[in-house]
Amino acid sequence: MKRSGVIWSWFWMILGILYFFLPLLATFMFSLRAELGHLSFTAYSNVFSDPVFQLKFPASVLWAILTIIVAIVIFVPTAYWVRLKVPQFRSVVELITLLPFVIPAIVYVFGLVRTFSQPPLLIVDSPALLVAGYTVLSMPYMYRAIDTGLRAIDVQTLTEAAQSLGAGWGSILFKVIFPNIRVSILSGAFLSFAIVMGEYTLAQYLAKPAFAPYIALLIQNKAYEPAAATIISFALIWACMGVIQLIGGGEQGQVTGGH
Amino acid sequence: MSHLKLTNISKEYSGTTVVQDFNLEVEQGEFVSFLGPSGCGKTTTLRMIAGFETPTTGAITVNGEDVTHNPPNQRNVGMIFQAYALFPNMTVAQNIGFGLRIRKESEIVIKDRVAEMLALIRLENKASSYPYQLSGGQQQRVALARALANHPQVLLLDEPLSALDAKIRVQLRSEIRAIQKKMGITAIFVTHDQEEALSISDRVVVMYEGKMEQVGAPFEIYNFPTTRFVANFVGSLNTADAEVIDVEQGLLAMDGVLFKTAEGTKGRKVGDKVKIAIRPERFSFAAEQRKANVVDAIIENITFLGSVVRIQVKIGATKFNMDTFNNPYLELPKIGSKDQVTCSKEAVLVLTD
Repeated sequence: MKRSGVIWSWFWMILGILYFFLPLLATFMFSLRAELGHLSFTAYSNVFSDPVFQLKFPASVLWAILTIIVAIVIFVPTAYWVRLKVPQFRSVVELITLLPFVIPAIVYVFGLVRTFSQPPLLIVDSPALLVAGYTVLSMPYMYRAIDTGLRAIDVQTLTEAAQSLGAGWGSILFKVIFPNIRVSILSGAFLSFAIVMGEYTLAQYLAKPAFAPYIALLIQNKAYEPAAATIISFALIWACMGVIQLIGGGEQGQVTGGH
Repeated sequence: MSHLKLTNISKEYSGTTVVQDFNLEVEQGEFVSFLGPSGCGKTTTLRMIAGFETPTTGAITVNGEDVTHNPPNQRNVGMIFQAYALFPNMTVAQNIGFGLRIRKESEIVIKDRVAEMLALIRLENKASSYPYQLSGGQQQRVALARALANHPQVLLLDEPLSALDAKIRVQLRSEIRAIQKKMGITAIFVTHDQEEALSISDRVVVMYEGKMEQVGAPFEIYNFPTTRFVANFVGSLNTADAEVIDVEQGLLAMDGVLFKTAEGTKGRKVGDKVKIAIRPERFSFAAEQRKANVVDAIIENITFLGSVVRIQVKIGATKFNMDTFNNPYLELPKIGSKDQVTCSKEAVLVLTD
């Protein structure tokens, strides 16, 4: 590559980094100025000691965990079955999994409220609806992560090998398929966790306690604490990404090498 | 009673027949190969025996029991795949013991059986290795051990050597055959490699376009092909159009050149058009030894193939290949020179279609 090309590459990369990180840095610096005259973590301390935070943050964690469980239970067998039995429908299923990117969350939540606030499905007040909603929102990440994992193994041959050794569908799923795509499942799970922790619309309009609406509430009443909560939220998501990298990097050889 | 019996098996996919009227009886401990080109239905037939496909018509019995509609996990049929299909998350020992764990055998039984299988495939020191740490040949041996650990009634091998390099392939096929004989297990081996099929089988089923073309011992298949397809597919073969001249004497004319055949003109009449076939190795130079057929030939080309030298000769207007063993002290004829080549009456086959 020419020298000018290298310089431009660096220029665009630095510009990109600044574009992403400058606002974050500014937010972080602002969050440290809760006390006059010196930098401190007072805003963070205020957030962590806030009883509302102590209620809503664990609630979001709980929704995220439930979402991940439901998503795994639904999407792993679905992705597996589509690959094994109806591969011709893969593109259709992939299109469906992308719908949450196309349909705005506000439209989706009003659809949920309208559908499930009248008999026979009067479940608008149930946390199950929120979890179901989050499961749909996590679909592009979870399903695609699982599908990518399945692509890395020869699903049909492994299934047939297990069947010829006497295994039924349960054994095949739990002893052969799950262990060989666990890295992909974990990647999808952490992405889903991050999505649920930062999701505002569903929790707000279904009136359920959650972390994102809490940040929105803070913005209306406090100055420095919303900045601190935002940084906490980012830190949590980055931690999830870090764990994905850590697990994915460590296990890659075993899964791909055996294929 | 035959151990494995396929009766009038056929398979259709969306109106296309891929296997047609397939009948076969395999004895206990017999090694049978399905040989044919891609798309001839050999793998589909194997998959029907395994239970991965259901026949459109017909029945499959194993040891007298009708298993036609049994799911694959209830057939006790061992299967070896071209892609090895070892479970990447399990060690060699865990792979071999997988079927036994599914059957809920005791840990002692599993441990003993795994050790026995590891000894059989001579990979005792790889028990704790993962599949990705093994070579292709080693992985396929583990797959063999895994399939045999369950004491299957039939062992099915779907082109198990295709992904291996030539040397390992030859070595492993001998190992597979030795282990199969030692365990006395009935085996069905699918391959498109004629050398593989001929070298390890008790019987070979040659298939083409979903039908059985010929079933027989390797010697029989190679030396006495009954159809044009078998003759062309198994080994190298020279074929030419000829006309029956004398039925009693088995005399045929090809481009005005006369050939005598030991049989094959029976049931035909003078003037009938037939297809004759002669293996390249059945020709020799008449100067060495004169046989029933001695014909004039022009040397067209000479190709050195290692242990064999292939000489292309023109007899009448037809080109024939002639194989002779390589001999560094033998003087080869010159291209363009005239010579006489000879072959026995038995070497001239008359194909049935």
